[in-house]
Amino acid sequence: MRRILTAMVLCALGLESYAQNPGVPVERLEVFPPDIHLNTSRDWQSIVVQAFYADGITCDVTSQATLRVVNPAFVKIEGPIFRPVANGETELIVEFGGKTVTRKITVKDATVDRPISFKLDVMPVFMRAGCNSGSCHGAARGKDGFRLSLFGFDPDGDHYRLTREINGRRINLAVPNESLLLEKAMGKVPHSGGERFKEGSFYHQTIVRWLEANAPNDPPGIPTPVALEIYPREGVLDGKGATQQLTVRAKYSDGTDRDVTNLAVFLSNNDNSAKVDANGLITAGDRGEAFVMARFATFTVGSPFIVLPKGLKFTFPEVQENNYIDKLIHQKLRKLRIAPSEICSDEVFLRRVYLDIVGMLPTVEEYERFMNNPVSAKREQLIDELLNRKEFAELWVLKWAELLQIRSSNQVSYKAMLLYYTWLQDKIARNVPTDVWVRELLSATGGTFKNPPTNYYQNETDLLKITENVAQVFMGMRIQCAQCHNHPFDRWTMDDYYSFASFFSQIGRKGTDDPRELVIFNAGGGEINHPVLGRPMPPRFLGVSQPADVAGKDRRAVLANWLASPENPYFAKNLANIVWAHFFGQGIIHEVDDVRVSNPASNQELLDELAKKFTEYKYDFKKLVRDICTSATYQRATQPNPSNESDSRNFARASIRRIRAETLYDCISQVTETKDKFPGLPLGARAVQIADGATTTYFLTTFGRATRETVCSCEVKLEPTLSQSLHLLNGQTTGSKIVNGALVARRLNEKKTPEQIIEELYIRCFSRKPTSEEMQKLVGMVSANPNKQQALEDIFWALLNAREFMFNH
Amino acid sequence: MMYVGRWGLTLVGCLVFASLQFGASPNLGTILPRGGQRGTETTVTFHGARLSDAEEVLVYYPGISVTKMEIVNDGALKVTFRIAPDCRLGEHAFRVRCKSGISEMQTFWVGALPIVDEKEPNDEFAKPQPLPLNVTVHGVVNTEDVDYYVVEAKKGQRISVEIEAMRLGTTLFDPYVAILDAKRFELAISDDAPLVGQDGCASIIAPEDGKYFIQVRESAYGGNGSCHYRLHVGTFPRPTAVVPAGGKLGEELELTFLGDPAGPIKQKVRLPQAIPEEPFAVFCQDGGGVSPSGIRFRLGTIEQVVEKEPNNQLSEATPAPAAPVAFNGVIEQPGDVDYFRFAAKKGEVYDVHCYARRLGSALDPVVYLSHATGGDIAANDDAVGPDSYFRVTIPEDKEYVIRVLDHLGKGGPNFFYRVEITRVEPRLSVTIPKVDFFGYSQERQTIPVPRGNRWAVLATVTRSDVGGDLTLSLDNLPKGIKADTDVMVAAVNQQPIVFEAAPDAPLGASLGRIMAEMVDPNLKNIARAFEQIVFLVAVPNQGVYWRHDLRRAVFAVVEEAPFKIHVVEPKVPLVHSGSMRIKVIAERKDPFKGAITVYPLYNPPGVGSSSAITIPEGQTEGYFDVNANGGAPVRKWKTALIAVADAGKGPVWVSSQLFTLEIAPPYVQITMERSAVEQGKQTEIYCKVSTTTPFEGKAIVRLMGLPANTTAPEMTIDKTTKEFAFPVMTKADSPVGIHRNLFCQVIIPQNGETVLHNLGNTELRIDPPPPPKANAPAPPPMTATAPPAAAPAKRLSRLEQLRLEQQEREKAAASQNKKN
Repeated sequence: MRRILTAMVLCALGLESYAQNPGVPVERLEVFPPDIHLNTSRDWQSIVVQAFYADGITCDVTSQATLRVVNPAFVKIEGPIFRPVANGETELIVEFGGKTVTRKITVKDATVDRPISFKLDVMPVFMRAGCNSGSCHGAARGKDGFRLSLFGFDPDGDHYRLTREINGRRINLAVPNESLLLEKAMGKVPHSGGERFKEGSFYHQTIVRWLEANAPNDPPGIPTPVALEIYPREGVLDGKGATQQLTVRAKYSDGTDRDVTNLAVFLSNNDNSAKVDANGLITAGDRGEAFVMARFATFTVGSPFIVLPKGLKFTFPEVQENNYIDKLIHQKLRKLRIAPSEICSDEVFLRRVYLDIVGMLPTVEEYERFMNNPVSAKREQLIDELLNRKEFAELWVLKWAELLQIRSSNQVSYKAMLLYYTWLQDKIARNVPTDVWVRELLSATGGTFKNPPTNYYQNETDLLKITENVAQVFMGMRIQCAQCHNHPFDRWTMDDYYSFASFFSQIGRKGTDDPRELVIFNAGGGEINHPVLGRPMPPRFLGVSQPADVAGKDRRAVLANWLASPENPYFAKNLANIVWAHFFGQGIIHEVDDVRVSNPASNQELLDELAKKFTEYKYDFKKLVRDICTSATYQRATQPNPSNESDSRNFARASIRRIRAETLYDCISQVTETKDKFPGLPLGARAVQIADGATTTYFLTTFGRATRETVCSCEVKLEPTLSQSLHLLNGQTTGSKIVNGALVARRLNEKKTPEQIIEELYIRCFSRKPTSEEMQKLVGMVSANPNKQQALEDIFWALLNAREFMFNH
Repeated sequence: MMYVGRWGLTLVGCLVFASLQFGASPNLGTILPRGGQRGTETTVTFHGARLSDAEEVLVYYPGISVTKMEIVNDGALKVTFRIAPDCRLGEHAFRVRCKSGISEMQTFWVGALPIVDEKEPNDEFAKPQPLPLNVTVHGVVNTEDVDYYVVEAKKGQRISVEIEAMRLGTTLFDPYVAILDAKRFELAISDDAPLVGQDGCASIIAPEDGKYFIQVRESAYGGNGSCHYRLHVGTFPRPTAVVPAGGKLGEELELTFLGDPAGPIKQKVRLPQAIPEEPFAVFCQDGGGVSPSGIRFRLGTIEQVVEKEPNNQLSEATPAPAAPVAFNGVIEQPGDVDYFRFAAKKGEVYDVHCYARRLGSALDPVVYLSHATGGDIAANDDAVGPDSYFRVTIPEDKEYVIRVLDHLGKGGPNFFYRVEITRVEPRLSVTIPKVDFFGYSQERQTIPVPRGNRWAVLATVTRSDVGGDLTLSLDNLPKGIKADTDVMVAAVNQQPIVFEAAPDAPLGASLGRIMAEMVDPNLKNIARAFEQIVFLVAVPNQGVYWRHDLRRAVFAVVEEAPFKIHVVEPKVPLVHSGSMRIKVIAERKDPFKGAITVYPLYNPPGVGSSSAITIPEGQTEGYFDVNANGGAPVRKWKTALIAVADAGKGPVWVSSQLFTLEIAPPYVQITMERSAVEQGKQTEIYCKVSTTTPFEGKAIVRLMGLPANTTAPEMTIDKTTKEFAFPVMTKADSPVGIHRNLFCQVIIPQNGETVLHNLGNTELRIDPPPPPKANAPAPPPMTATAPPAAAPAKRLSRLEQLRLEQQEREKAAASQNKKN
């Protein structure tokens, strides 16, 4: 308790600086939690008072505010902490800066002591003190001979290990304080982990109480935590050193709650901007955003905090808003005091939108047509035109083929793979709504030749891998951790994992007439058992508490119906995020397949709105792409302004992205007018059309083509590497394509002047005309060279090697 | 050069083969074109290798006769077939008999329609090859090749296509066919179809007068020069199902063909009197023509019923005669279930087979047998590929119900089936097993016997529902060949047969059978068959795409081989855990000098042998090692060795005579004691002997398995020896450690030969000398105080030695203490 008090004092000191900031009125006062329940004599509740100032800044004013309890007979106040005195109901009145807030206080069983509980009292101590973390006793083999379950996923096992394993060594019921458990934790005997808590601390007392009660395990039916709340919900901190105390409350299945601020583990995703200490006190650092989280039991919850430079003067500029995307982006930028970059030029827009929508560069004719188009809405016009091209579908077939791991292997014949790819291509080309084909895919039954989506279950035959892939591809979640222990940074428990896996436990596979074909069917039987507890896990959707009704049904079909429906809160958001990431180089949640509590969206409102629209559009992602491409946000220039140069997550400017392998290869072929031959495809086919993930070329491998061996979004590599540059400089691709395409020779034959040819090359490669300075230098080079073709081809080669060519900007 | 004169034919263009002298292995690869029209005479080319001494084409089935055969060169024969107008449509099998050997079996396809060749370029929809209706196109799909054809049809006319590609057995070629209209819309496509496997068939009724396009390609845009196809295009019916799918031998029966776009077609057929050798199928025929391939059809003697809808519930079950009986029907709709009711008697045992995919049905059946009142007794899904089979003992005299449904709940007109409930009938089936590494080639499955020489095969017998000793017999052997074999005892299912041709046997061949017969006179009448499976398209580690089952083996007398082998039959038995060297003598015919490789044809149970030995170039003897494990049955077996050599024209195989190999229990037993020794010292390994079969003379015993730098002399024993000990000498550098697997090799003389036993087992521990103890008192002067003991009357075991040593140490210590 002393610690919390200390923290509160510190907090108060830190706040002095802002509280004295004169002139800015308090707009709103918030008191957390919204109500106070005190239940049994040991219960307490800490509160946080947060002032919202008119300039958007928030401040922790807990210590400055006046706290008054209407009937003080029921509770006593120790700083910000309330403790029960007598049963009854009363109110807390908080006053600060001319604002008043009232909170209800309920006290029950004020004189009744709550018995010590191993799961509710002792286990949280292990997590808070770090005993059961992965680097300590939570490791799979424990540490120094003592193992606890990682983050406490197996309390019964932990109780066994403490009380029964190496009998009598870890705990001493006769003299509790001499238990090795305590002596080690308090550093009284040598301990690799050092001192974890002090003698007399709350944690020490809790364990002693448990030992004094004879180290009981909990009876069955003990309440379990069902939710975790963190307060305040948000904050904008003004300048380095500003502080904000957090309070964390857990809710239990019996309807009670507890203040677990001193049992939660706090962490921030950006210590640079907002560091949080072990007691939940945030201290502002450099300008930026941070998501500050508290972990307790199986829950992780967090609140976003923005840190601004002290006394920043900023006015949001007047900017164009094309649609809801811009509105929500600007809303966020306003909070951050960031101004967006300018709208990009027509030339830049043209190149960008061609590369993003159809994966090609505009031809010279297309360039001229667009640049000379007098229509004011010519950008929208172009977007609509490109969305209806077949190449748009092909690009998305490629992306989905990566996520569905379409590749041939020893198990998957080329024919099965090709049929699978053709099926997918047909769905996307016909603009079949994503939910419809995803449902068809996941519930597919029959032979892999006769019903190609069944290949999904041939590509991957490991049940748990399928479970993880479905979660990662269609919901953007990596639930792998929960296979062995509760997810440390997300809400998923082993129960959630195996209940979800249970949807895939009844997949039957058998051979048929053709040795290459596999028949996938509903086997109608087969359960998954919890690996620790051994009980069968009824199928349950992720994030849904009730088991699904699968009686007499194909479990996969039940799952597919839920997964690709608005009832699944993750599906639409995940797909919207994937689409967004394609156009901005990073998702609103980044990475796109790493959705978790501790990796929040950079703009949750925007993601929610995109998902809502996508659902309204009946999962027709073409419409979503249109919204994105027509937004001002998409059309921003890459050039930063002083306010947004350090920001990369809020889409205040366009990002410079290396063009992905297949598209880059196709662009090189396109600008050089050469044809490629890939196995299984006719001459002249484009690299994005390669059906088989196992097919590749040196160029594509070097530039990071996905091998489709996993569903991870990290398979496509977009990092520029030295070997890429060297390949373009010295490799076969550029040089020989320039020669084979013979574009320069043809233009010279057509009696074009070097200026005309240089201009065409610029438009082909960069979708812009050369600057007069560039033109002057290049013409000079050409005229200095007796071999005009050689000189022009050198220029062509140089353009293909330029960064401007390799990047989408 | 002395054998050159034996050539019967003077061949043009075969000078390169002038050095040929002996029998060889002709090879038949492909017959091109891959098929012909019945009622015509057609010339085809047999492509292969080593065919220049071809004498005859062996024809398996009636309907095709060879009118002319001309040798083009060593790799090709020009053969003229006369195909009878009533020749069975479909696959026909052939081999070539050369003077020097017999080729593989290859196939040729007979169709009803005239033949047109593909004319490239026809790779574009816009430039198809025009075809009249009712032709068969012979074409090839090259890499990523797409072939287009166009036909003209009137509204309401049927356009059917069927492709033979994988079925041609040439290569792994999985075709795709489609019928498109002039606007490029696919009216019908077929990639794989249950009726025709990876091949396809499709049929439409022309919606209007006009052009219709047929597209042919490899299903994954593969292809190569050997991807031949026969594409039938015409107005013929192309049903995909037949009901009933079987009938009684000899009866006339009305069949309903389903799945044709023109609707069900009823047709009467007269079934054959006996089950024919070639695969039996029924062909649908109407005014438009006849289907290019038939639907496989069950022939038998049992009564049958056809389902009467509605029969989708227990109460509506189609009634049928008492078992044995067959039920026929179609799972017409997704989710359809068919019920049949029949009576059976308590205690009867029945085999319940559902024939569906085996006949070309799309159905993946699940069959249940239940009480007429409900309650399942037996069920099966996939016992025979996707088809169902179970055996059931009828629990009571009453009625039962059979229920048929699709495993995936699908249905359609081509989901036909036939469930047969038949009495369990014992059956014997003989085959010549595959011998090559992957098991897919036809190597060594024919019986070409060189004149004056021998060849052997291993007959494998499957005894279904019967057990016991059996004999093998051969029918239709060519003149001059005799066969030698033995009774096949109940415990084994393989038996060598050695064929020997007289030196003057006329060259020639016959198709015949190897048949098995039970020795038990009560079991003489059980069903017997010879079956030989030829894998025509098969991929290692994947499986078989196309095969042909032959019912006759081929026996032939061929030209002399350049060598013979003979086994010197051992006069002594091979004992358990013993081994033996069998002498093989090769007799070479001048000028053949090449190396000869000898293989075992058959190792009896519990017997192991060298996998192969080589009699080196120019030599005439070799030794073949055999051994027996402790559990080899004690009896006399007949076996043979086979040998191969290349005399310049491919491998030539011959066999030794059938010789006797006797397995006997060991003559003596030896138990050995463990021993330990310090490096550089000597010890003994003590052995106890018990003689179970008294033998004459002295046997040599060697201690085997000793580590390096450790020696033990050879010992001798006789039938009276009870025990002996090997003195074992070690050196300072004998390896330290426990050396297991020491055993005795006992060589017992008999009949001028020896019987080699490997007996006993023990271990020898070699220790390093103990390190000198620092500051230790001087070792007690044991040698000084204890007078050298007289040689012990009885040899001490290791344990006794250790006890003695301990006693001495204690005594010495006691005396030391006294001194102190």
